[in-house]
Amino acid sequence: MTILLSRRALSALLVTTSLAFAAPALAQNEIKIGYNADQSASGVAELGIAGLYGFQAAIEDINAKGGVLGRKLVGVVRDDVASPPKSIQNMNELIDNEKVAAVVGPTNSGNALAWLHIPQQKKVPVVSHVATATDITARYMKEPQNYIFRVSMVDREQLALLAAYAIKATKTKNIAIIADTTGYGQAATKDLLEILTLHGIKPVAIEKFGPKDTDMTSQLAKVKAAGADMVISGSLGDATAQVLKSMEKMDYYPGLLSTWGSINTPLINIAGPKLAEKTIFAASTTEDANERAVALHKRLIAKHPNMPAFVSAAQGYDAVTLIAAAIAQANSTDGEKIQQALENLGKVQGIIKAYDKPFSKEQHEALGVADFHLAQWKDGRVVKVDNEIVKALTAADLKR
Amino acid sequence: MTAILQALASGLALGAIYGLIALGFNITYATTKTFNFGQGAFLVPGSLVGVSLLLLAAGKPHWGNLAPSEMTLLSYALATLASVAVVGAIGILLYYCAIKPFVGAGGLNWVLSTIGFGIILQNAALAVWGPASIAVPSPLGNEVWRIAGAGIRPQEVLIAGVAISVMVGLDIVLRKTRFGKALRAVAFNPQAAAIVGINVEKIVIIAFVISSSLAGLAGMLIAPITTASVFIGLGVALKAFSAAIVGGLTSPRGCMLGGFLLGIIEALVGLWRAEMREITIFLLIIIVLVLRPGGLMGARSVEKI
Repeated sequence: MTILLSRRALSALLVTTSLAFAAPALAQNEIKIGYNADQSASGVAELGIAGLYGFQAAIEDINAKGGVLGRKLVGVVRDDVASPPKSIQNMNELIDNEKVAAVVGPTNSGNALAWLHIPQQKKVPVVSHVATATDITARYMKEPQNYIFRVSMVDREQLALLAAYAIKATKTKNIAIIADTTGYGQAATKDLLEILTLHGIKPVAIEKFGPKDTDMTSQLAKVKAAGADMVISGSLGDATAQVLKSMEKMDYYPGLLSTWGSINTPLINIAGPKLAEKTIFAASTTEDANERAVALHKRLIAKHPNMPAFVSAAQGYDAVTLIAAAIAQANSTDGEKIQQALENLGKVQGIIKAYDKPFSKEQHEALGVADFHLAQWKDGRVVKVDNEIVKALTAADLKR
Repeated sequence: MTAILQALASGLALGAIYGLIALGFNITYATTKTFNFGQGAFLVPGSLVGVSLLLLAAGKPHWGNLAPSEMTLLSYALATLASVAVVGAIGILLYYCAIKPFVGAGGLNWVLSTIGFGIILQNAALAVWGPASIAVPSPLGNEVWRIAGAGIRPQEVLIAGVAISVMVGLDIVLRKTRFGKALRAVAFNPQAAAIVGINVEKIVIIAFVISSSLAGLAGMLIAPITTASVFIGLGVALKAFSAAIVGGLTSPRGCMLGGFLLGIIEALVGLWRAEMREITIFLLIIIVLVLRPGGLMGARSVEKI
């Protein structure tokens, strides 16, 4: 028995060593891009899954055109299950073992904040395609080289847009905030408070609820008693859907504004198509925003019928597109050179828009409040909101 | 006034969910003095198996979303029965894997083994269904019923109705039937029960099957409110457990009472300060346990230590 086992072990060892020898030969012709994002655990996992579809589609397209620097792009995908330790481990593994040229990810802002120092020290550019915390790109802004970039919404910016809309729309100047007790919800509450203060407005109610709560009638009763006619929800789509359902129970419908989480299908699936139309939210793109988005959405849905959130797929696609353009411009896979190339990119055609100098030394956000628009569900589709209030918004209103 | 009425309605609706799940703790505790700490994870296959059957019946893949037109009261009832059967069968597995090796041996090994079994179950479900939550329309429609200005959904009324029926059923079974007597005999003294001809293992397995089936039932019932997902049981199971402790683990009526109590406190405290809800509930639990260690309606147990 022991002999048999050791023979097996020996042959396994032989196979692995021969594979290990074969690997470097292959790697010569490849450029690896890492993908480190939650695809299975938290409420935003579906943004990570859709982001992966976009990431893979961009790699496919680039390889179909001959790759970058004559080499094939290869995606190395890791799931961080929304856990910071796992995310850190993935990051080390991608950089040290897989020797990736750049990383796309993560989905959870908390995970990004847990490992930002690793790519920064090891000089590997990261493009965040989902996580929205303001601090992600800001933390190393004062360093000679900041390796963290973003192609996503930024919380502060989208909340600035929501606050500006709320102030234009309110008749009584009574604005309320409702958010869940997760890090996301509480950070949004804090940002909103600061932004509203810039406008000289104090919210009439600030309410909280648990992340898994399904009935917020008690909190909304207080919001109603305070006389709010505009309510800003600082939560993701599923929680905002429950807020809407509670509003329906009370037959109380103030204007409800929410973050880009509402673009996810849970909002419409949980609240139902009619009720879902009652919130206006910030969005970077929609599946009908332009013809490139339409084409990518069609292609991805054909391959992944269950794809949840197109928006992060588009952002994942554009993240890879920008990285590939930077590698081509740098004519190198060296992290330092890619970082410089990213800061000096010219025109790059993406899905969300045609980027023109997307990044610079001072600006690591490819998308800003000017690229965001307000959207709304209508007959089961996300459409742009273009009412009188949106038209009346000026740059001066977007205090942040 | 409307606000308080609404809080009461919402609290009762919430409490019914807690109570229903809490009943699952009662039946096994009454038999073996153990229960399934992973009960929350049993809601996962409970909701997902039934919903997947409905999806397959509608000619869709086993995940995705159900349209209201694909849900009738009959198909929902059949899917619920199937769910109850499947999760009940998982209960047998639970007994052999996580309870049998430890029951009667003293110590707390069964606590970890049932938690572990739940985690295995949840992650297996994650592999099959993925993380996205499945929206489930209520078979009774999605409109809101209004009573004096307070809104309540038909599904919530259904849950309360089912929970109370299950409670009454359990109460009768435990108190009036031969099976109930056997259950109590096993709980009181397994050796003596075996000597008088009770098949102890069979009774215990049945208790775990009933308990697991109840989780399956609860999973299907709450899915139209919470959505069906791998994470469905996380928060509610802890509250349900608290409800069982407050009301009395040994009494079905106590479990239900504890559930309603927790739900109403949660909703009423929310009217004052939402962040105080958990603090109030767990303070209350501590106070109840100090004054009545067996819970509000639990037997005053004398346990030899």
